[in-house]
Amino acid sequence: MTDIRYWDVRHVAGQSTHIDIDNGVVESAGTSFFDKAVLRVLGTKGWGVIQIDNFTRPSGAAFEELIRSAANLAAITEESVSLAPATRRILPVPDVTEDPRTVSLEEKTELLSAIERAARREGVVNTRATYTERAEEVRFEDSSGTDLSCETCRSGYNVLAVASRNGAIQMGYEREHSLRGLNLRGKEEKGRSAADIAVALLDARPAKGGKMRAILDPELAGVFAHEAVGHASEGDLVQEGNSILAGKVGETIGSPLLTIVDDPSLPEFGFEPFDAEGVAVARTEIIRKGVLTSYLHSRETLAAIGNGTGGHARAMPGERPIVRMSNTFIEEGDANYEEILEACGNGILLIGSRGGEVDPGRGVFQFNAEYGYLVEKGEIGAMVRDVSLSGEILSTLHGIVLVGNDRKMHPGYCGKSGQSVPVSDGAPHVLLEDAVVGGSGDH
Amino acid sequence: MVLRTFSSRMRWWVAVEIIERILAEGGKRADEVEVIAVSGSSVSADLRKRKVSHAHETRDFGLGIRTIRNGRIGSSSTSDPARWEQCLEAALASGNLATPQEWGGLPEPANLPRGNLSFDEKVSLDPATAGQLLQGILSGVETYECAEVTSASASLSVSEMTLANSHGILYSDRKTDVSVSAEAICGQSTGFEFDSSCGMDIDPAAVGKRAAFLATHSVNGKDVLTGTCDVILSPLAFAQILGQVIVPALSGRNVNAGRSYLAPFLGQQVFDPALSLYDDPHIPRGLGSSYWDAEGVPTRRLDFIREGTVGCFAYDLKTAYRYGKESTGSAVRGGAGGATSIGSHNLVVGGPRTDICDERALYVENLIGAHTANPMSGDFSVELTNPMWVENGTYGEPVRKAMLAGNAFALLKEIGGLGKETRVLGSMRLPAIRLNSQHIIGT
Repeated sequence: MTDIRYWDVRHVAGQSTHIDIDNGVVESAGTSFFDKAVLRVLGTKGWGVIQIDNFTRPSGAAFEELIRSAANLAAITEESVSLAPATRRILPVPDVTEDPRTVSLEEKTELLSAIERAARREGVVNTRATYTERAEEVRFEDSSGTDLSCETCRSGYNVLAVASRNGAIQMGYEREHSLRGLNLRGKEEKGRSAADIAVALLDARPAKGGKMRAILDPELAGVFAHEAVGHASEGDLVQEGNSILAGKVGETIGSPLLTIVDDPSLPEFGFEPFDAEGVAVARTEIIRKGVLTSYLHSRETLAAIGNGTGGHARAMPGERPIVRMSNTFIEEGDANYEEILEACGNGILLIGSRGGEVDPGRGVFQFNAEYGYLVEKGEIGAMVRDVSLSGEILSTLHGIVLVGNDRKMHPGYCGKSGQSVPVSDGAPHVLLEDAVVGGSGDH
Repeated sequence: MVLRTFSSRMRWWVAVEIIERILAEGGKRADEVEVIAVSGSSVSADLRKRKVSHAHETRDFGLGIRTIRNGRIGSSSTSDPARWEQCLEAALASGNLATPQEWGGLPEPANLPRGNLSFDEKVSLDPATAGQLLQGILSGVETYECAEVTSASASLSVSEMTLANSHGILYSDRKTDVSVSAEAICGQSTGFEFDSSCGMDIDPAAVGKRAAFLATHSVNGKDVLTGTCDVILSPLAFAQILGQVIVPALSGRNVNAGRSYLAPFLGQQVFDPALSLYDDPHIPRGLGSSYWDAEGVPTRRLDFIREGTVGCFAYDLKTAYRYGKESTGSAVRGGAGGATSIGSHNLVVGGPRTDICDERALYVENLIGAHTANPMSGDFSVELTNPMWVENGTYGEPVRKAMLAGNAFALLKEIGGLGKETRVLGSMRLPAIRLNSQHIIGT
């Protein structure tokens, strides 16, 4: 097999549990099973990739035949792919407080039900709570003799409250996801909080669109770091010529207050003990004090374009590894929240996140807050709803004028190329000058 | 393709044998049993810039089981047919936790037309064919000198779904899918286009050409001021708004749970009389076409919006029995592992067609952040992709950056017209739409 330069197999098996309680009715609660592997072979040029359900690692001639099948696929590739050398290391999976798998489905259903019940109050017409739990056993091996395994269990819940009055309808929600163990106990206040937000939003007005000073709360500022910087620093996009950050390493692209990091070794929701190519994970500073310092890389993109560190390849079970973020955050500054409010003067405070999206080649991003408040003379004023923020990456990063000292991380999921992976984003409060705020209001 | 080592390569009759065993065993322990088996294969290839970098092959299998006992619905799924007994146990255990509900039974076999509506036997899973599709994309991109492909992909797939229940239903349907997509860039201006069909009748060169046109034409966009103007949403941008806001509001579950703005308006004129929206499950070669839904209920045309009036809502069996309605044959399932939910088959926008590009308007190809629209209230504020002025039927000056803010329900109350050309976007068929006096946030 002289035309086969490298192979690897990533096999993930496990089970997922979900519970869905809608207006007091247990709609579904149960467990499903999955078993998927992906085999990659590097031929004389590029990759042949085979996804296999229910993988049993064959040995001897049968395994060689499997490799040969992938090599046959690779025969149609034209791009000469090289791989950067890999450092190997497994980090211990963070300790869990209470393993969700040791708690019965009945008890988890009762705990979730308590959160859902807590969201019922006057003005609320619907309450819904869902729980997801996913345990994965991962095994990675490659042609250089690497053989790594790990086991993780992520779990969490979402609670949604819908409030309605005179035909108007608004929603409030809370969510918590973790890889540190069951987080369903004593969370009734989260249900109440979702309900309070939904009811309060009935009286909120749409924000007026335009340029203004905006304070982003830690959750939204985390999404800002993810959308405005994280994606465009992904080595595969840079390699394709589809990132506005291509060729800009060493250049000042943002405020000197701004340091943005991706760190899969942090014990947060996006933690990986090793990446999807069996490479050691570590902290990567994408931007340090306003200067673009590193891209995020897989072995392939590191070899192709350099300027950064590997260990950032991730994959859904059965899918091929691609460059992804893990735990992405803005480093703390030294401003406190009161100073940020005061410096904002007249503007808007944006809270929570309904997600975001970026066109990395054009360098334009959008993300949406759950709600916000007008800021008038440094004081918090009326509540506003349905506020988005958009911007151009290269100009917006210079607009960060204050960075707080109160960083928090928020778990979520990020989609790219049809693959969804667990991530966390975080930041302290951040003050942004000349933010382009989208809203349909007149005030 | 030679793939003898895959245990997942289930032949149809093997799947049927397992299905019969599950029905027999499950029938002893539950009132009713339903089994769904999905198997699929695909080949695909990706371009990075101008060269093929990856070739992939997948073989999937999934088995889903639902059991009903005293109105308690349980479900589970597995990708491993050998674990069917564990999967059946998990389904029964899940039913024990579900809240019992009114239940009138799974459907009996019906005399449905035979044949596969979205299957083309000419689709062969050959990596070389995927390679030829990619070459077609490249030839289209070359129409525009400035544009370069950043990435592109082509895939061919075949899938087979078998649905059986303890009342004697044993339906089977095969589908084929051929999809291509291309991303192009010209300087910092990007363009994206895609197409899919159940056969080989797609034009990859046209896809490449369109992506390249969008990238090229959007170069040197001019600023636009915040204010109001007429907007034309491309079929894709229109589909994003419909999918995120309007379609969920037509789900009988959301309607009865208080999560739909449209709930009080059945039979009432809510939208512009020029707007109709219906599900036609029997379109020959329609990607979502099927004679039966994911629960075996015969499908039929559903007029959700007829000349602006809300005509009906969509129901699956569970929701219909709970609220005293009839299933509309709207159950869908995301593969065997996905839960049954309410959806549509081929969603079609109807209504009179006119020349909507004669009068000056801001044309929008795509929305960044459409998924952040509020599905309850319909409010959204999104960033625009490839915004450009259009007048006298031709594309004019591009706009650098703009946001559109509004409410999806409100903007369809009075539309400026539907375009003459209908575009097939997966399982949606719709034209461009003109919207008068929309709120734009410029730079």
